[in-house]
Amino acid sequence: MKGGSRVVVQPHRHDGVFVAKGKEDALCTKNMVPGEAVYGEKRVSVQNEDGSKVEYRVWNPFRSKLAAAILGGVDNIWIAPGTRVLYLGAASGTTVSHVSDIVGPTGVVYAVEFSHRSGRDLVNMAKKRTNVIPIIEDARHPARYRMLVGMVDVIFSDVAQPDQARILALNASYFLKNGGHFVISIKANCIDSTVPAEAVFAQEVKKLQAEQFKPSEQVTLEPFERDHACVVGGYRMPKKQKV
Amino acid sequence: MSSLRNAIPRRTHKERAQPHERKKFGLLEKHKDYVLRARAFHQKEDTLRRLREKAASRNPDEFYFKMVNTRMVDGIHRPKSEANKYTPEELMLMKTQDIGYVLQKVQSEKKKVERLNSALHTLDHQPENNHVYFAEDREEVKEIQSRQLEKNDSLASVKVPGRIKKKTAASYRELEARQKRVQGLEKLYSDMALQKELQKSGRKRRLREDEIVQPTSRPVYKWRAERKR
Repeated sequence: MKGGSRVVVQPHRHDGVFVAKGKEDALCTKNMVPGEAVYGEKRVSVQNEDGSKVEYRVWNPFRSKLAAAILGGVDNIWIAPGTRVLYLGAASGTTVSHVSDIVGPTGVVYAVEFSHRSGRDLVNMAKKRTNVIPIIEDARHPARYRMLVGMVDVIFSDVAQPDQARILALNASYFLKNGGHFVISIKANCIDSTVPAEAVFAQEVKKLQAEQFKPSEQVTLEPFERDHACVVGGYRMPKKQKV
Repeated sequence: MSSLRNAIPRRTHKERAQPHERKKFGLLEKHKDYVLRARAFHQKEDTLRRLREKAASRNPDEFYFKMVNTRMVDGIHRPKSEANKYTPEELMLMKTQDIGYVLQKVQSEKKKVERLNSALHTLDHQPENNHVYFAEDREEVKEIQSRQLEKNDSLASVKVPGRIKKKTAASYRELEARQKRVQGLEKLYSDMALQKELQKSGRKRRLREDEIVQPTSRPVYKWRAERKR
């Protein structure tokens, strides 16, 4: 191409996530379905040395808590190529599409959403992506979809319900392997709008610790969302050996 | 005959240009330019002549309404004031349309900001959020701290060609300019909306400095509560 390429794409610290520099300065994922945008996001095409083209989709942190957490500098998201992910609160599948990009064809994403209306978009998105399994069910009753979901490595939960810790624990007890991980996004207003956000986060972390979870870190999603936090950790982690 | 004449190569006559020493007079005037200039001149001459004739043959006893509506102030002709040209309803309608236009611009500009924001994540800057680590014992704290140092070392940015850096910078500049424009337009919109509300009927008064609950630099008005039914 004359004048060289217009954009440079480099791998991010997290596996499967990329950074595009050019007219945009953005987080992106490798598009599993080249030529198609899921929610009208920008796409970036890059030509390799051997002439093959790779397409990336820009990941909007204003619409995705996971992207906001990554930009917030979270150490581990545990979602990487080849992992099996249970995604609670999938909504229209904007973030799910990026998670499906990350895990790639060898991984799988079980996307659970209760609302039929946004579930419709989710199903339409899943038609093009073979590694997404949409489940239109209430995440409070994992027994109803236990036949569809196998053991998973990571649970991502974005349900914004007052009892979200319980929902996460219930799903983890069914599907999350021992030593697996969870990522939960907490919206302080949804749990208790009368106390400061920090107190709500601490309270939620306590609840998680009571349910055999071991939170390892917490980031607030500051410039992108107000009073939101993302907590990452492990489930039924093996006891450390005393030396 | 003429075809024979055409067969012989003739000298080509080039158009004369303004001589260098007369450059200050601009392009050299040709006859067709002169014709245009002369026509315009004579037109003006004619207009003046006609007006002079009109003034000379004026009937001093004749009445015109403009004699009442307008007057000369210090030798300057003052036309009739157009203060009440439009009715209050018409004025209100025009204002509403202006406000509608400004609102439309605010919204379109906001959309553009959102679009730019979706692809500009300020990746090179440290985020301004807070990051909490949970540790069970002292050993784990030390481990996390050492990991943190490693992470900071590995943050050294990968090299990006200069022309691409320039492009990114231009995008950020555009975003900033648009955000500023949105702010300006929103202020303008709220000012216009306030003016429109103030023109409506209803008893209102401007609050004094000490009555304002949330301090602002802008004027604050309060309407008297009115029973509707």
